Amino acid sequence: MSGPVILFGLDGATYKVLDDLVARGVMPYLGRFVASGVREPLMSTVPPLTPPAWTTLVTGRSPGYHGITNFLQYESDDSRYLRVVTSREMCCETIWSIVSRQGRRAGSLNFVAHNPPPKINGYVIPGWVPWRWVKKYSHPADLIDKLKREIPGFDAKELAMDLKVEQRAVAGEAIEDNESWIDLHIHREQQWFNILRYQMKHDPCALVGVVFDGVDKLQHLLWGYLDPDLEPERPSEDFLRIRARCWEYFRRLDRFLEETVKLAGPDAYVFIVSDHGFAESREILYINTWLEQQGYLTWAPGAKVAPDDSQGLGVPQAYHFNALDLTKTRAYAHSAGSNGICIPVRGKRGEEGIAPEEYESLREGLVAALRMRCVDPDTHEPLIGRVWTREEAFFGPKMDLAPDLTVALRDNGFFSVLRGGQVLKKRPVVVGTHHPEGVFIAHGPGLCMGVTLQPAQLVDVVPTILCALGLPIPEDLEGSMVTEAFTPEYLKEHSPVYGPATVRPPHLPPDEWRDRAYEQEGETEVLMRLRALGYIE
Amino acid sequence: MKELDRLALRNDLLTILTELREDWEYSDEITEQTGIFGDLGFESIDAVALGSAIEEHFDQSLPFAEFLTKAGERQAKDITVRDLLDFLMVSLNRSKERRS
Ligand SMILES: [Zn+2]
Repeated sequence: MSGPVILFGLDGATYKVLDDLVARGVMPYLGRFVASGVREPLMSTVPPLTPPAWTTLVTGRSPGYHGITNFLQYESDDSRYLRVVTSREMCCETIWSIVSRQGRRAGSLNFVAHNPPPKINGYVIPGWVPWRWVKKYSHPADLIDKLKREIPGFDAKELAMDLKVEQRAVAGEAIEDNESWIDLHIHREQQWFNILRYQMKHDPCALVGVVFDGVDKLQHLLWGYLDPDLEPERPSEDFLRIRARCWEYFRRLDRFLEETVKLAGPDAYVFIVSDHGFAESREILYINTWLEQQGYLTWAPGAKVAPDDSQGLGVPQAYHFNALDLTKTRAYAHSAGSNGICIPVRGKRGEEGIAPEEYESLREGLVAALRMRCVDPDTHEPLIGRVWTREEAFFGPKMDLAPDLTVALRDNGFFSVLRGGQVLKKRPVVVGTHHPEGVFIAHGPGLCMGVTLQPAQLVDVVPTILCALGLPIPEDLEGSMVTEAFTPEYLKEHSPVYGPATVRPPHLPPDEWRDRAYEQEGETEVLMRLRALGYIE
Repeated sequence: MKELDRLALRNDLLTILTELREDWEYSDEITEQTGIFGDLGFESIDAVALGSAIEEHFDQSLPFAEFLTKAGERQAKDITVRDLLDFLMVSLNRSKERRS
């Protein structure tokens, strides 16, 4: 038996920031970790959004298969109502289950869409759960009571998420007090780390995964303090004070990493991973306003225009019912964050929408318009970097839950779904936004040292973990183990073993367990899809 | 086909809620009249989490987002346990019919 494996998740971590923090001595342990391990970019999903991306990372399947496409998605193939994703929408087996059904223990802390928790041989405390539900949604049922008794200072309220605050922040709305925002995350990460440390000491598992999501939250709002390219020549005292507080957050993460590696022991594999990277965003595209100008969308009478000074993208809640006249609308975006555009088709989710036979030509026309006519009014440069159809971005049995089109903006930002006074607005302050290139840094026996590799995909993480654990890789996973990360000597002794396919998650009715047609998807189609996504040339 | 027994369903629902009362720092008795926002102090994300708990209990998907959105559109002041029960009666009966 090999391992254990520790999956040390940093939501949104990006080399630009991590390398700078290492160079400045804020994360000295990470510097040593990288020097004695391998690193490579880890390419995210389309769009590079937290729920689909982490779910792909822990299932080894793409969003069209695992069924998590966004924070909010259609309740069913024929519903027009949007729900927050949970584990009940997850249609593929997770790494925790793959490991635990083979007789090894697994622990999972703070992963999105893990509530209600899968009943694995091990433990689960899901992330993105409001405090009232932390205990109910932890597994086993007595876990939280035990942690309360055993860990001094344990506080489920600090652990949990206040979604109202967080979602506003993620959507780029200004918060009043940067320092208390940072402190909130310092305290929360400490709670998660205390649990990780306690569990590693008292309930050793073959695989433990944890996500520290404050990295994402700080970078969204405080990118200007973290991107070394944006450092002012003469920083103000305010700038230095807030940056010092950001650095304190990362200094603590560095100590968590060091302590985790020590606790895991010399035989352990530690993988530092992120679900997506980060970059700056300087503008807001009001996509629904553009769609209106192009004749695709009609606002409901009295639909409010976002104030000029607003920087929000539209809180992530269903927007299409009250703001739009759906009887006259042929394309719209319903929730911020997904960069997805929906085309209502009559009879599919109610009676409004275009005739089914118009769909293909309307969509083609819209793709062309997005590419050619969605431009910066000053420079006439295209605002849309890329457009994917649903089949390209979400191929698989759950494809119908995803938007018809997904776009990448020229500055990597998320568009706003609000009614804007204009199509494009410059942000007064630079914010951080998601970027497709995340991180994968690995350290352990048989891994190369001090090597930088070609990019891997999120779907490659599960096979790599399984290989490090000496477990067979299910034949239906989409990625492959990152072989270049291991030394030739190690691979000689430990070549990856392939085994039977993953199993049906227990909450999924057998008749919904994968459409066989998709199962027969040949290698050619997989390659075509990866090419369409821009993953391979 | 037999209709669902409303009384049994009511007791089931009240048991689920009462078991969680302590986690929610709510000490009063939970009845059909209890409002999930006004009395239990829920935020909308708590209502979503309640939906998943109920789905898990009955081991099936229910159109909870539709239920919550429609309550919002009606500008309902609150959602009571009785509203939840009505919703469950309709949805569970419908899915029973679909299955048989
Ligand atoms: Zn993320």
